[in-house]
Amino acid sequence: MIFLQVIVGGLLLGAIYALFSSGLTLIWGMMNFINFAHGEFVMLGMYVALLVVLYLGGGPVGFSAAAALALFVLGVAIYVALIRHVVRGPMLSQILSTFGLALLLRYSAFFIFSANFVSLPQTSLSGTLDLGGIFLPLAQLVAGAVAITLTIGLHLLLTHTIVGSRLLAVAEDRSAAMLMGIRPDRMQALAWGLSAGAAGIAGALLAIAYPWSPTVGETFGLIAFVTVALGGFGSVLGSLYAGLIIGLIEATSAFWLGAIYKDIVVYGLFVAVLWFRPQGLMGKA
Amino acid sequence: MLLEAQNVAKAFGNFWAVGGADLAVAEGEIVGLIGPNGAGKSTFFNCLAGDTLPTSGRILFNGVDVTHASSEAHARLGIGRTFQVPTTFEDMSVLDNVMVGAFLRHPHRNDAREHARRIVEMSGLRPDQPGRSLGTPGRKRLGIARVLATEPRLLLLDESLAGLTPGELREAIALVRRIHESGVTIVIVEHIMEVIMTLTRRVLVFNQGRVIASGTPEQVVRDAAVIEAYLGRGAQRHSRERKNL
Amino acid sequence: MKYLLSARVGVCLLAALLLLFPLVFSDPFYQDIAVAFTLAAISASAWNIVGGYAGQVSVGHSMFFGLGAYAPLLFYTLFGWPPLVGIPIGILLSIALAGLIGLPTLRLSGHYFSMATIAVAELIRIFFGTWALVGGAIGLQGPAVARGWWDLTFRSDLPYYYIFLAVLGLLLFVTYEVQRRRFGYYLRAIKASERAARSLGVPVRLTKLKALALSATFTSAAGSLYAIKTGFIDPDSGFGILVSVQMLIVAALGGAGTLFGPLVGALILVPLQTAANTWFGGSGSGLTFILYGGIIVLIARFEPGGLFDFWRRLSPLIRRRVHAA
Repeated sequence: MIFLQVIVGGLLLGAIYALFSSGLTLIWGMMNFINFAHGEFVMLGMYVALLVVLYLGGGPVGFSAAAALALFVLGVAIYVALIRHVVRGPMLSQILSTFGLALLLRYSAFFIFSANFVSLPQTSLSGTLDLGGIFLPLAQLVAGAVAITLTIGLHLLLTHTIVGSRLLAVAEDRSAAMLMGIRPDRMQALAWGLSAGAAGIAGALLAIAYPWSPTVGETFGLIAFVTVALGGFGSVLGSLYAGLIIGLIEATSAFWLGAIYKDIVVYGLFVAVLWFRPQGLMGKA
Repeated sequence: MLLEAQNVAKAFGNFWAVGGADLAVAEGEIVGLIGPNGAGKSTFFNCLAGDTLPTSGRILFNGVDVTHASSEAHARLGIGRTFQVPTTFEDMSVLDNVMVGAFLRHPHRNDAREHARRIVEMSGLRPDQPGRSLGTPGRKRLGIARVLATEPRLLLLDESLAGLTPGELREAIALVRRIHESGVTIVIVEHIMEVIMTLTRRVLVFNQGRVIASGTPEQVVRDAAVIEAYLGRGAQRHSRERKNL
Repeated sequence: MKYLLSARVGVCLLAALLLLFPLVFSDPFYQDIAVAFTLAAISASAWNIVGGYAGQVSVGHSMFFGLGAYAPLLFYTLFGWPPLVGIPIGILLSIALAGLIGLPTLRLSGHYFSMATIAVAELIRIFFGTWALVGGAIGLQGPAVARGWWDLTFRSDLPYYYIFLAVLGLLLFVTYEVQRRRFGYYLRAIKASERAARSLGVPVRLTKLKALALSATFTSAAGSLYAIKTGFIDPDSGFGILVSVQMLIVAALGGAGTLFGPLVGALILVPLQTAANTWFGGSGSGLTFILYGGIIVLIARFEPGGLFDFWRRLSPLIRRRVHAA
C-alpha cells in the first residue's frame, strides 16, 4: 500500500513537471532556443504565490492566476528586452543570455528572500484524503490534477486554435508565416509569455504542496531539460508523458535507494537519453 | 565514367523528392541540371555531394561506390561542392576561408597559404578582406574559390551564379569556364538559362522527382514536356513576383 | 610589420608585468588576488579552446576541473602519494571523460552539447557527494605540512603564483600554435558552419573531439593546481556549476575565441570579484552572483564578441580622433 502511495505521489509531482516542461519545449520547438532560466521562472511563480497570499490574501485559484499572469508578463518582457536581440546572434550569446538571466533571477530571490526554506501558510487545501487505503495530501492531489488539465489545455491550444496554428506556422517556416500575414515577433513574444506563464502557474501549484528555497529553480530547470529531452523537443504531449515518467522514476528511486540517489537516477536517465536517443523517446527519428 | 548515378531515389516520409534518376558524367564534361522549384534537382544534387543519403540506388565516383560516404570523404576523394546559400566563414579573411579548403591537400601552413593565395588571385578577390564584409557576388566567388582549393576532380555547383547582375554573371561564367579548362569536370544546377546555354553541352531536366528530358541545351528547350513543366512554373513565378511588389 | 612589432612589445610588457607584480605588491592580499587571477586565466583559456575557438559552448567544464582537483588529493589520501603524481592521472581521467561525453554529444547541435555538459557535471557532483571513497559531501584534504618540495605545499603564495604563471604561459603558447595551424583553422571553420567545413573535407567530429580533449587536459591541470594550493576539495568547489560559469564568463568578457581574451577577462573579473566580496560581505548574500548574472546578460545582449571585439571597433575611431587633433 505504501508503494502504491509512492507511485501516485510520484505521478502527481510528475504532472507538475510536465506542466513547466511544456513551457520549455514550446520555446525549444519554436525557436530552437534553450531557456536556461526556465527553472527560475518556476521559482518566481512560487514566490509570487507566497507574496499574494501574504499581502493580498485569496485562495489557491487567486494566487495561481496571479503567478501565471505575472510570469506571462515577465516572459514577454524578457523576450522583448533580451531574447529578440540575441536569437539571431552567435550561439555563445544565446546561451549566455538566459544563463546570466538564471543567475540574476536566482540570486536576486536569494538576496530578497534569504536562503531559508519557506512554504505557503495553511490553505483551504490542507488535509489528507483517504483513497481506499492510499493517503494523499489534498493539496498534492489538486495540484497534480490541475497541472495535467493545464498541460492538455496547452496542447489543445497549440493544435486546435487559430493562435496555436499561427504559433506553429512561425515554428515551421518563419518567412512563409510572414507571407501569410503573421508577425513572427509577436508570436514569439506570445510563446515566451505562455512558456513563462506555464512555469509560473506550475510554481504556484508546487507551492501549495511543497516547501522551497530560492535555489530550487536550478533543480527544476534540470528536471525540465530531462523531461524535454525524453519527450522530444517541441512536443507538449511528449512532455506530459515524460514528466509523468520522471515523477514516477524519481519517487520510486527515492523510495528504494534513498532520497539522495533520486537525483543521480534522474540525471543519469537524462545522459542516457542524450546518448542513445538524442531526438527523445517520443521524437521523430 | 567519372561519376555514375544509378537509379538514385530519395523519399522524405511518403514524399518521393527524387524517384529514380540516372546520370553519367565523363571526365572533362560540363553537365547542367535544370528544372522548376521543388523538381528534386537539389535533393539529387545533395545525394551526389554526400550530404543526403539516398533511399535507394548507387553512386559511383571513378568506379568507387560513394553512396554511403560522408561529405568529408567526398571532399577527400575529389568531389567538391558549393552551396546555394553561401556559407562564408564570417570571422575569417578571404585568404583564411580559402586556406581551410587548401589544408585538405597541404597540411602545412605555408604550403596551404601559398596554394590558397594562387586561387584567391584567380578568383579576383582581395585576400585580406574579412569574410563578413563580402556582398553576394563576393560570397559566391569565395564559395567557388574555397572548394577549388581542395583540388576537386569533380565540381558540383549549386546555383552558384544566381542573384548576380548581368556584368557579374559574365565574369562568373568566365570563371567557371577557366575552371573547366583547367581540367575539372563540372555538374551545375542552375535556374538561369543563359548560364546553361553558354556553359553546358548536355542538360538533364527534372520535374516532379524525375528526369523528363536530356540532351543538348538546344534540344531540351524545344522539348514539349520541358515547355509544359516550365510554363506551369512561369505562371507561378509571375504571381510570386507580383506578391513581392 | 609595424603591427607585429607592437604586438610583440605588448606581449613582452604583459609578461614583465605579470612576472614582477607579486614582487612589487608583496602584500599577501594582492598576492592572493594574483594567484586567483592566474587560476581563472588558465581555466578560462582552457575552456576557450573548445568553447571559444570551436564554438562548442560547454557549461559543464567543472567536470574536468573537479576530476583534476580530486585526483591529487585522492591518491594522497589513499596511498600517501605526493599530490604532484595525481596531476597526470587527473589529466588522463579527464581526457577519457572528454571522449566519453564528446563521442555522443558532439554530433548534436550546439544547445544539446551545452545541456549535456551541465547534466554530466551535475551528475558527477551529486555522485561524488554520496561516494565515501572520495570523502562524500565533506571532500578530501591534502598534506597539512610539506614532507618535501614535491608535496608542493608552501606557506607563501609566491611559489604557487610562479608555477601557475608558467602553466598559463605554456597554455597560451599551445593556443597560439593551435591558432596558426590547420587545427586552428578547422576549429574556426567548424564554429562558423559545420556543414561548409565538412564539405571542404574537415573531419568535423574528430576535430571537435581533439579540441575537447586538449581543453579538458588544461582544465584538469587547473583543477589540480587549485586543489594542491588550497589543500582541500569538496564536490561544490570542484564540480559546482559556478566553477563552469566562471570559466564561461571570464572568457566571454574578454573575448571568446581570441588568444588573450580570457586573460583580459580574468584581469577584470578577479579583482572585481574580490572587491564585490569585500563590499558585499562574502558571497553569502548572493550579490556577487547577481553581479555575475548582470555582466553575463549585458555581454550577451550588447557585446557578444567581448571586450576584445569592442576594442577592435573602438581603436580606429580613437586613432582617427588623435590624428585629427
